[in-house]
Amino acid sequence: MEVIKTEGLTKIYNPKTIPVHALNGVDLSIKSGEFTAIVGPSGSGKTTLLNVIGGLDRPNSGKVVIDHTDISNLSDNQLIDFRKEKIGFVFQAYNLIPVLTAKENVAFVMLLQKKDKAEREARAMELLEAVGIAEKCDKRPAELSGGQQQRVAVARALASKPAFVLADEPTANLDSKSTANLLDIMLRLNQEEGITFIFSTHDQRVIDRARRVVTLVDGKIDSDVQR
Amino acid sequence: MIPILAWRNVWRSPTRSLVVILAIALGIWAAMFMSGFATGMAQSYIDNSISSLISHIQIHHPEFKEEEDVQYQLQDLQAIQEVLDGVEGAYYSFRTVSNGMIASSKSSRGIKIRGIEPGSEQSVNGIGDKMIEGDYFGKDRKNQLLISQRMAEKLGAKIRSRLVLTFQDEDREITAAAFRVVGIFDSKNNPFDDSHIFVQQADLIRLLSTQEPDPQHSFIHEVAILLPGAEQMEVLQKKLQEVAPEMLVENYREIAPDVQLYESMIGSMSLIYLVIIMLALVFGIINTMLMAVLERIKELGMLMAIGMNKFKVFSMIVLETILLSLIGAPLGMLLGGLTVELIGKYGLNLSAFSSSLQMYGLSDVVYFSVAPHVYGQVAISVALTAIVASIYPALKAIRLKPVEAIRKI
Repeated sequence: MEVIKTEGLTKIYNPKTIPVHALNGVDLSIKSGEFTAIVGPSGSGKTTLLNVIGGLDRPNSGKVVIDHTDISNLSDNQLIDFRKEKIGFVFQAYNLIPVLTAKENVAFVMLLQKKDKAEREARAMELLEAVGIAEKCDKRPAELSGGQQQRVAVARALASKPAFVLADEPTANLDSKSTANLLDIMLRLNQEEGITFIFSTHDQRVIDRARRVVTLVDGKIDSDVQR
Repeated sequence: MIPILAWRNVWRSPTRSLVVILAIALGIWAAMFMSGFATGMAQSYIDNSISSLISHIQIHHPEFKEEEDVQYQLQDLQAIQEVLDGVEGAYYSFRTVSNGMIASSKSSRGIKIRGIEPGSEQSVNGIGDKMIEGDYFGKDRKNQLLISQRMAEKLGAKIRSRLVLTFQDEDREITAAAFRVVGIFDSKNNPFDDSHIFVQQADLIRLLSTQEPDPQHSFIHEVAILLPGAEQMEVLQKKLQEVAPEMLVENYREIAPDVQLYESMIGSMSLIYLVIIMLALVFGIINTMLMAVLERIKELGMLMAIGMNKFKVFSMIVLETILLSLIGAPLGMLLGGLTVELIGKYGLNLSAFSSSLQMYGLSDVVYFSVAPHVYGQVAISVALTAIVASIYPALKAIRLKPVEAIRKI
């Protein structure tokens, strides 16, 4: 089943002054359960593509259909609600809420979804266990290592039961061991629970473990390899 | 969880939050101090005016107010006295009043002569307690005179000095008599002290009167009535007006519009101080909350990215500001209340400015007082201040675009 479909996506920054063509007609289709790496040199448009797919940025032209909904026409508030229900985000700098514990960070998204307390707590613990950090559930981000914070971020991304998880360079700030650990977790969630992951990366270790690698060059898809 | 998040955000930067909380508390304390001080001063002016000068009610001949002529004497005195005797706790003094000159060998001055019956005058304005030298009239001696210390200095007079009073009698002929100073008072009210002297009523009436005693000629020009409180004043005023319909019965607000002005100012003064201080606070809070938003741009962007809508982000920033105020306000009110309570009990001694205060009829010890509704005003103004101050930072927060905010380092 197709969860993401883009048609002729273009994104131009500073169109009136010094135009920068970040995306030049990207057509991409991602099916449920895929484990896809978006790769390419710096400035190739990886982050822009993820932002546009995630409804964080709007394309200048083209269409983004997520789970049968064309998000190009949604208002800002509709987009916020859409992201809350359909998309999980993992950021390069973890971006956890510093004043909440690991468990509260994971439960926070479910709170926004108005889930009841018992369900929030049970699922938060379940997800923290899935990413192997349940014993640190009462720690705040500042008390966790980078790898541990990113695992909490993955758990948070999954909390809302999204259609897919977008991860922008999730391992960029991690050491080798933490990178391997995070990849193991993501792959296991992908294989065992069928969670769709799309992530941008430069990291060859991550690219090597991706099942599909989409290479962007100058805002266009240069290659799309299924493994 | 939004309130929990807001509460924890408040304490992310404890020093900054404590500074704002203290600023709010100090602002409220200052507003209450100023309000207590101003109310205390105004109350002191009102109390002094009522107890020393004008009393609660005065009765005059209607023409006497225009022209203080000895001819304009009060009628219906017996009926007035009967009404007054029936009011529990009321004190009154029937006065004979004449304008004239007082002269010593050194100088002379224009003055208002109050002819009084010492006992009743003492019960109305307590002038006997303000004697600093001599006696509050001796016994069995004619032509005794009380003058103020300021007047004594200007006339070069002292106890036992003989001073000459000159005034018009009832035929408008100039009459003069020598009086001996038996007492010197200091009412702490310079305008009063500079213009009033006291003699015994019988002496003044004897000098004013040129004709045979006549019930129509009471030689009473003024009745001053002091009540236990202002509550029963208007009822009594009405009753007196009924028994003496031809006479002018006025309460202290009508006699002295300045006192009424002070009374009406009491209510608005605290509000004025509050508004000024809260206006200053608004900018301090805006500055702090703006800093709190700007240093969390990335985090706020992330919150919106993962699905926290703009209303919730807005509410969170507003709530953070309200929480800061909720801690600061009770602290300030407690400090302010204690200060007002303490100074209300023991007074603030301003004797260093005694001479200036006395010029305006103010006592040199001010007892702070704050009306209970001021606490309500403070609570409402702090809440309004917090909400107003949080709007700009909160708008700034919701105008962030998640994609740009997340990119910020």
